[in-house]
Amino acid sequence: MQRDEKQLDNSLEATIQRVQDLKGSLSALLVKLETEYTLNWPSVLDSFALLSGQISSLNKLLKHEKTPLLRNYVLLPLLLSPDRDADLEKLTEGRVLAFNHEVVPDYLRTKPEPDVEERQQHISKQASNMTVENAQKQMNAVNRISTQLLDMITSFRDEWELAQKTSQQQTSSIADTNTLLAAVNFGKGLKSGSENVHSSQSQPSPAEHAQPGRQASSSMKAPSSIKTNIKSASSLHPYQR
Amino acid sequence: MESMLAAMNKKIVPLQEYFLQGSVLDASRDILLHRLRGICDNIGGIEKFQDHEMVYTIGTNANNVLQLRARRALDDPEAPWLLRYVGEPDFGDRSKHTLVRSSIDVGTSDNLVQFLTEMGFRLDHEFVVSGHFFRKGRMKITVSKIYRLLQPGDTDKVEALSKSYLVELGVVTVSGQDQVQEEMKNFAEHLKPLVHLEKTDLRKLQQMGT
Repeated sequence: MQRDEKQLDNSLEATIQRVQDLKGSLSALLVKLETEYTLNWPSVLDSFALLSGQISSLNKLLKHEKTPLLRNYVLLPLLLSPDRDADLEKLTEGRVLAFNHEVVPDYLRTKPEPDVEERQQHISKQASNMTVENAQKQMNAVNRISTQLLDMITSFRDEWELAQKTSQQQTSSIADTNTLLAAVNFGKGLKSGSENVHSSQSQPSPAEHAQPGRQASSSMKAPSSIKTNIKSASSLHPYQR
Repeated sequence: MESMLAAMNKKIVPLQEYFLQGSVLDASRDILLHRLRGICDNIGGIEKFQDHEMVYTIGTNANNVLQLRARRALDDPEAPWLLRYVGEPDFGDRSKHTLVRSSIDVGTSDNLVQFLTEMGFRLDHEFVVSGHFFRKGRMKITVSKIYRLLQPGDTDKVEALSKSYLVELGVVTVSGQDQVQEEMKNFAEHLKPLVHLEKTDLRKLQQMGT
């Protein structure tokens, strides 16, 4: 028995802690919404992510096997008093001033509020009056609409992701990179046209034949596009090798 | 150690350039500049440059060519000319994140072209490059447009080579500083997916060009 009580105490404390965390982040979000003029989407998303994390950890805690089922416990208000209760005020941060007849039914109720209850009853009455065929028809209709909606969302998401991918690719082009690098490194496209289609291919330079050994040693290197211009220089300059 | 001694004897420090290259379409250039301005070391706004680069070659056949690059600033006539030698890029293996090539830069006087011509060098090609550059630590980032000259030697009449800007990320340092590659890879990650800075195998490009 004592062990059960201890367990209850522990789990209640943990629950209160979690709820307080949640409350803290909620008020932080509210402050952010009210005070920051240049509120950006990522920061709101951050807050939401924090909230959803805290809610799910609270849920996990409540479903945990060591947490006793709280609904099996009875809370019985023993004393109601119309006087102001300083301790209670401090505990609830000024929201509940006194434990009196007015607030207790609201705070300790386990059912929905009366007007909500009334509406719920109205709806269930309506539902029970309906014929089975009619209900089936409506269910089918709702199912159809939700499937269509789901399809639309999925297809739109696919399109959106595709669009995002293609827009990313448009910032740079591999073909252009290659064009630019070939130009900067080998002068491709920078030499004036007449020189480019030079005679060096039809008339191989005599030096190439004269030095087979040298050529073999450097055959690892790709033939350069530069060779087009060397021909004209080879006959002129004095440092023939 | 050996290379250190050689460097002391010849008074030239062997420098290696670690680099990555990519491009960005004209339409997305401003987004890239904004991003770079955000992540780079700011030194009073964006710095621009406009250079005229002439590539000179000497050699008797296609496989035995020495190439030198002469560069001058078009937007600053007072600036010295720059003579640059770059070696064959080393592609390395998969574990290497960047390309590496040897690189020598020398500032020169404005009669560099005359000097090269008299030594027997011939002009292979020339182009105008203009754009922006950024610094981040020891890394240099350039975003530049390459222009073709319509008339040889006339830098006023130019035509853009493509609809993209060339983006280069480079570090020039003494050889053996492989840890810089990690730094550069991380920086390149920041620019994705806007620009993909990659090791482009230049030899493949060269083969495609011929």
